[in-house]
Amino acid sequence: MGRYILRRLLHGIIVIFGVTIIVFVVTRMVGDPVKVMLPLEATLEQRAAFEKQLGLDRPIMVQFVEFMGDVARLDFGDSLWQHRPAMEIVFEKLPLTLVLTAVGIGLAFVLSIPLGIIAALRPGGVSDRSTVFVSLIGLSVPQFWLGLLFIVVFAVQLHWLPTSGTATIAHIILPGLTMALPVLARLVMIVRSSMIDELNQQYVQTGYAKGIPFLRVVGLHALRNASLPVATLVGWETIRAIAGYSVVVETVFAWPGLGLTAIQAIEREDLILLQAIVFSVAVLVVMINILMDIAYTLIDPRLRLA
Amino acid sequence: MKIRGKLLLGCFLVMALAAFANAQDVTIAIGSEPTTLDPQLREDGGERAVNDNIYETLMARTPKGQLIPGLAASEPRLIDPQTWEIKLRSGIKFHNGEPFNADAVVFSVKRIINPKFNSEQISFFNTIQDAQKVDNLTVRLKTDGPDPILLSRLYWMKIVPPKHSMDSKFAEKPVGTGPYRFVQWDRGESITLVRNSNYWGTKPLVSRVKYRFIEEPGTRLAGLMAGEFDIITNLLPEFTQQVPKAIHILGLEHPIIILNADGGPTKDVRVRQALNYAVDKDALAEGLFEGFAQVAQGQLLSPSFFGYNPKVKAYPYNPDKAKQLLKAAGAVGATVELIGTAGRWLKDRELVEAVAAYWDAVGVKTKVRIFEFNEYLNRLFDRKTRGDAIFVVSSNELLDADKSFSAYYKAGGIGSSNTDKQLATLIDNARSETDFAKRKSIYHQAVKRAFDQAYFTWLLNIEDIYGVSARVDWSGRVDAKILVSEMKVKK
Repeated sequence: MGRYILRRLLHGIIVIFGVTIIVFVVTRMVGDPVKVMLPLEATLEQRAAFEKQLGLDRPIMVQFVEFMGDVARLDFGDSLWQHRPAMEIVFEKLPLTLVLTAVGIGLAFVLSIPLGIIAALRPGGVSDRSTVFVSLIGLSVPQFWLGLLFIVVFAVQLHWLPTSGTATIAHIILPGLTMALPVLARLVMIVRSSMIDELNQQYVQTGYAKGIPFLRVVGLHALRNASLPVATLVGWETIRAIAGYSVVVETVFAWPGLGLTAIQAIEREDLILLQAIVFSVAVLVVMINILMDIAYTLIDPRLRLA
Repeated sequence: MKIRGKLLLGCFLVMALAAFANAQDVTIAIGSEPTTLDPQLREDGGERAVNDNIYETLMARTPKGQLIPGLAASEPRLIDPQTWEIKLRSGIKFHNGEPFNADAVVFSVKRIINPKFNSEQISFFNTIQDAQKVDNLTVRLKTDGPDPILLSRLYWMKIVPPKHSMDSKFAEKPVGTGPYRFVQWDRGESITLVRNSNYWGTKPLVSRVKYRFIEEPGTRLAGLMAGEFDIITNLLPEFTQQVPKAIHILGLEHPIIILNADGGPTKDVRVRQALNYAVDKDALAEGLFEGFAQVAQGQLLSPSFFGYNPKVKAYPYNPDKAKQLLKAAGAVGATVELIGTAGRWLKDRELVEAVAAYWDAVGVKTKVRIFEFNEYLNRLFDRKTRGDAIFVVSSNELLDADKSFSAYYKAGGIGSSNTDKQLATLIDNARSETDFAKRKSIYHQAVKRAFDQAYFTWLLNIEDIYGVSARVDWSGRVDAKILVSEMKVKK
């Protein structure tokens, strides 16, 4: 087990380095912060001076060697846009994204289990059909539209909740729900289909025949066997929430987390901050993957041999 | 029914109390969070929106844009071509008690022009060489040559308190002389200011102001509709029908098309004029901006800018004349490359496409090329091969012709496409002419010359649009500053 995790860690480090190198190359190929950050009417002399100040006038290889040193020290330098250490910004914004992700994924996970089981108990029944129908809607609705819809209904029309910001607990409800719904839809579908598979297995019939109570058969034996694909999806959705959904949801709700900051850094061609963000997200993704691998072995001891 | 009635009454009381509690509070949603609250360091719209209320400048502007003394007691005097003498108002204190005097002004000037300080605003002040104290309320400024724009520059330079600005927390805890003083900055969430009860000027009415940072226009709109915000910036024209009040005021932005006067089909002045006659500017203002833009009067200047020539009027929409001119120039069917970008400025792509359709209609073949912003800038700044026609949106914060003309009108400017020596000489002369009347007349000549030569297809002057709640009275300013001291909350 220890050796296994070590190997996964090593793989993870290679992935992280690969990602950071790609980011370094791509941002320097397509972007030129000097052009974008100065006012259009700035003179050529001002541009040259600014480029020098940023250190972008040096050969790319020199920049790259320095960059790798920065990565090793976890110090990417000052953000070009905010003029303070990029990692300081990441550490300031990341907790907000993690809270939002935890609320969104947590909500989706907790609701998906009972909903999925209820649907699976009578495939084709009313509860199954309505669950599938609602899930399909949840899957097809674009998240930014869903967020705006929530704002219009619950904030603008009903005045129940605030439109944007982070000031109180109430502020997380709408962005949390927006984050949760598409995830919930996908999770319900997977809980439903794996439960249907399990409930048709012979051991379930045997369980009933032996007189084990219904709840114990479904809730313990069947659910445990059905939970492997569910766990996979939860991990995958967590990654997508941190590296993807957060960008949309945080923008719509002015939630000042890492996703919104990433968009702002891209708009302002802030290469330094962008590198720090991508690096941090890559580390998180690798960590979640390793956690998922550990979770598998807990769910299904047979996987420990692998 | 009875219970319901009581509930209603209760709700009403709570609402009335809430309204009473923040009777003179205003919440303003701006597009981006300040990166710093040091008023001299960055070129940052979010920072400006907040600090314009905390700090003051030696020269100020009326809402209509006219320069008036601010912290200066009277208009600065030119005592020799390179020296300005400024008398200061007496008895003014910074929010922390530091006195405002000649020392504070000298310190502020020297701080911002110090190369080591590395201010992003330096291009506004690069003519200023030195500041000297004459007496406690008199300062002299030295410029590197005659500088007629100095008063506009002073309107941009915020005066900081010498002692407190040495504090390492200065960028997070601003202290000025202005009508509002800083209370709190919750990073990512909000900034709060309160009224300065010792303010030297007219007492402001609004007692407390909160700034929120909302990048997404739809979210700003929702916040206004939900009653959370009183003023939102950059309201999209298509949203103006939905808000309680939309106020609009002619702003500083001009979308314009630079025509290449040195090569290609646009080398012929008749073709350039035709490309002006071909475009229905009124229809663009109405169709794309819902009327929240005005036709630019044949110059890259708003009426409030110094140098604006009221005698020059826009080329009228006259497709027949455009066709005749193209025929006379032998350019019917010529290919004109029109370069633009998408998503950088309001309606940028739509404007380019609409203009292309107008040009095609009079008989040229317009090749529209929309580039990603970085690649677009490569084309705009390319001094060797100029595109036939390049779309750009120019903005001018100093409200003086010099900046726009040096960049786009003058031969060799960063975005200019002509080698007109006569025009360049005019612009150079205006730059060092300290007699206002003479300088104005030089710009009038420059505007006329560029207009006759049709170096551009002038399009529009965009209006700034704000969404305003029903409870706040405010009418906006031509310089796009959001001054809370000019607002009023209705009882």
